[in-house]
Amino acid sequence: MTGTISSLTRRGFVGGSAALGLSTVARAQAPAVKVGLIVPLSGLYARPGAVMRMGAELGVADVNAAGGIKALGGAKLELVALDCGDTVEKAKNAAQRMVAQETDLVAATGAYLSSFTLAVSEVTERAALPLLTLSYSDLLTDRGFRYIFQTAATAAAQSALGLPELMKLAEAASGKRPRTVAIAMDNTGTSVATAKALKEKLFPQLDLKLVMDEVWTPPLSDATPLIQKVRSTRPDLFLFMPNAVADAKLGLEKMNEFGLGQGRVPTISFSITIAEPDMLQSVSPDVVQGIMTIVANWGVKGQERLIADVKAKYGEPWATQNIVSTYGDMWLIKDALEKAGRADRAAVADALRTGDFGPSRYYPGGRLQFDEKGRRIGAGVVIVQWQKGVPVAVFPDDLALAPPFWPKR
Amino acid sequence: MPTLRSLVPVLVAAALYAGLAAIVTNSYYQLTLTLVLVWAIFGLSWNLLSGYTGLVSFGHAAFFGLGAYTTALGQIYLDLSPWLLIPAGAVIGCLAGLVVGIPTFRLRGHYFALAMLAYPLAMLYVFEWLGFQEVTLPIKRESPFAYMQFSDPRLYTLVALAMLVAVVVITRAIEGTRFGMALLAIKQNEAAAEAAGIDTLSWKLRAIALSGAIAGAVGAFYAVVLLVVTPPSVFGMLVSAQALTVSMFGGVGTVWGPLIGAAVLIPVSEILHAELGARIPGIQGVIFGLAIMAVILLAPEGVYWRVRDRLRQRRAGSPVTDNRPAAVEASVVSFAAPPLPARERRRTGAVLLSVRGLSKSFGGLKAVQNVSFDVHEGMILGIIGPNGAGKTTLFNLLNGFLRPDAGQVIVDGRDRVGERPHQLARAGIGRTFQVMRPFLRMSVRDNVRVGAYLRAASEEEARRLADEAVDRVGLRGAADRIAGQLTTKELRLMELARALAGQPRLLLLDETLAGLGHGEADEVVAVIRRLAETGITIVIIEHTMQAMVRLVDHFLVLDHGAVLMDGEPERVTRDPQVIEAYLGKKWVAHAHA
Repeated sequence: MTGTISSLTRRGFVGGSAALGLSTVARAQAPAVKVGLIVPLSGLYARPGAVMRMGAELGVADVNAAGGIKALGGAKLELVALDCGDTVEKAKNAAQRMVAQETDLVAATGAYLSSFTLAVSEVTERAALPLLTLSYSDLLTDRGFRYIFQTAATAAAQSALGLPELMKLAEAASGKRPRTVAIAMDNTGTSVATAKALKEKLFPQLDLKLVMDEVWTPPLSDATPLIQKVRSTRPDLFLFMPNAVADAKLGLEKMNEFGLGQGRVPTISFSITIAEPDMLQSVSPDVVQGIMTIVANWGVKGQERLIADVKAKYGEPWATQNIVSTYGDMWLIKDALEKAGRADRAAVADALRTGDFGPSRYYPGGRLQFDEKGRRIGAGVVIVQWQKGVPVAVFPDDLALAPPFWPKR
Repeated sequence: MPTLRSLVPVLVAAALYAGLAAIVTNSYYQLTLTLVLVWAIFGLSWNLLSGYTGLVSFGHAAFFGLGAYTTALGQIYLDLSPWLLIPAGAVIGCLAGLVVGIPTFRLRGHYFALAMLAYPLAMLYVFEWLGFQEVTLPIKRESPFAYMQFSDPRLYTLVALAMLVAVVVITRAIEGTRFGMALLAIKQNEAAAEAAGIDTLSWKLRAIALSGAIAGAVGAFYAVVLLVVTPPSVFGMLVSAQALTVSMFGGVGTVWGPLIGAAVLIPVSEILHAELGARIPGIQGVIFGLAIMAVILLAPEGVYWRVRDRLRQRRAGSPVTDNRPAAVEASVVSFAAPPLPARERRRTGAVLLSVRGLSKSFGGLKAVQNVSFDVHEGMILGIIGPNGAGKTTLFNLLNGFLRPDAGQVIVDGRDRVGERPHQLARAGIGRTFQVMRPFLRMSVRDNVRVGAYLRAASEEEARRLADEAVDRVGLRGAADRIAGQLTTKELRLMELARALAGQPRLLLLDETLAGLGHGEADEVVAVIRRLAETGITIVIIEHTMQAMVRLVDHFLVLDHGAVLMDGEPERVTRDPQVIEAYLGKKWVAHAHA
């Protein structure tokens, strides 16, 4: 009973003091605004989940350090982390827990794997909680949902954006336009979706001839037949699409063994697996030198401070898309809160849906604005290349930290 | 059929659960309540096959996943409602059960378990290859109820509860009847079940079809709850393991096992995940694993059986149980008079069984060579011979476990070679086994009832035949005791009763007197003689000569698979060659006296 009375009194006091013009007092006491982070913190995907948490924590710290949400009297952001585990069922449970028990969340971000994001968004959609996501399955924003906001280019769009640039790069560097292409990929959802877009649309458009098309089920047990086939077909481009570090290592080492490494056959990937810091624990920098990958986001030019913070605070050698995008999500939520002017999920969702927060800062290309499906307008990609043991952004030019080199035959 | 009374505890539990679901407004707790039911139903489906037949399936996710994809793909491509697709999932699960069962039931034990493991893993890759890595049930904003997309999560719990009650009723209905008895008999000893006249393959197929149907239905419902279906989430190893975990934790072979298992494990795992997952990631798995290990160490057969045994033990202190052994003794005593009157030898009735030139080899070993003999109606034939003489092999040839290389087994003038054991049982050949395999947790009466289904048209008749058989072997006083509490003699008598309940005309007894003390053997002998008096023809394999001489009308002596001698007991026991070779020096002296 006393608790209720005293809190009433305090609220009355705050209201009264604000009315009296003591706005500084009110600002200092503005209640924190809660933001959800729902990512795998345990199980098979704990590592990328932990990296996303780093990005979110840095984002919250930086937003708060810059004065919090000004429209809410300088309210601070507060991160609520939930472990979505390593199965769809656990993800669904965690999402349900998030909406049922963290009722004052204004927005959330997650959930790494597109299967998890699908399950989580089924819950957040019904609870009308805006969910930002880095997952790039096209399906996520093809379901007619109104509370999901996809910050990355979709899987289909990524290859469409990245491959023509690679072709230009190849032509400029080697003086010869690639004519033939080989694919070796695992059969995970992302790879299959990417390959479908490549084979059905992009290869005909770019006049590329598919000379090899191999699929494996992870884990890859022996890369010899794959790489033998690469050697015999000698493609101008080799699209190597593993989603597990072990598979990537096996394929790349076999290429080196066959004398195809170091760019003898230009090798391109479509996921961050091949550019994860874990790679260097299993292969030497020479093995990966020159390999490129097309990713949804990366630590790029203009984010040198963020990259340094990540290194200093968490010991991460470079900032992958998981860190940068989740960091950016915090700033985007801040922007939406500023526009909404209320710590309310409906208002934040509305702000995200209708707002234009200017040119993108922490996602490559386009604007901080979403179309009717919830896809970020003008979302681009980053091409990353392994150079002397570090995967650096080499495209687009305005974000590149180093110029690309096209491996000489 | 389960009586209403036997369902009362289940219905009360269901009503309480429904009450709990109605109070809970937190959608997350409600989801947990729904998932408890989902995994309980899946556990029951597993239990129906593996719990009752003992054939462990590591691959129940195959049926579960097919059900889940039925809902997902049916709604995406055909725009059908889950109200229709859940029954459709059951049909598909049922068919999948048959398709899986027909080839896989050729395997037993570990081989069966491993083969089952392969199905969901294969399905996982098939569905990935088909491009169904991630499918979601389309959101229906206009007619959510028609598509089972309730805004009130309590309705999901109620639908699941209705499914669970239906599955429990089905399971209970099976438990008490010949279906359940047949499955239990298969679990205890598949060979004995066949010998008791149970068509084991057909019952196993029925079990896997029904089990597949339940798993398919609950898988279909799971897709509705999760709204997202991916191959690992419905065909994965963890899904199959979930069925085993909840059943083994709660108790295998009982309807309560999976219910207890799911009601404890699912919330505990979720609470651990929720409370610790974000703070000490991964610790929840460690605690959960340790908890399961602790429970399995303390209650290896599951919580239910542990608790039940405890309660029985406590009740055993009452005077009622103390009186029981006395009652048994009293009922058996009448047969125990040691000096048995000489029996009138019979060898005159019509020939019931005629064996002609029967041979069987295992590689180079000629286990049975050109054996011929006749069994006349009402006689007791004793088959003797040293270990390895081929006695049990001969029995296995007679009742269809083995197929002879040559020869005929003529019953009632018809050659029965090539028929399966349950068919021969139907033709009137009953059998007991050297190694006893009683159903330890079942009462004597229920043990015997398994054998009665061979002849009984109804449950009532089965009960009557079982009671008659129990009376005939003199176990009436012990009829309600649990087989696990019986002495060896009582177990032998019970096995005899089980064979008798099928009303055989010819009874093959494999070392029925083995392991019995002197006085005990006499009691059993008395029972066998009484059976012969009532017109049952008996063929008995035995080592115990003393009892045999006074029991049988005729001896068949086997050595190295061949008939050495065929004659009256007096002649056989006095034949020096037989005595020397098979009966020992003691009998040589006896013969010369």
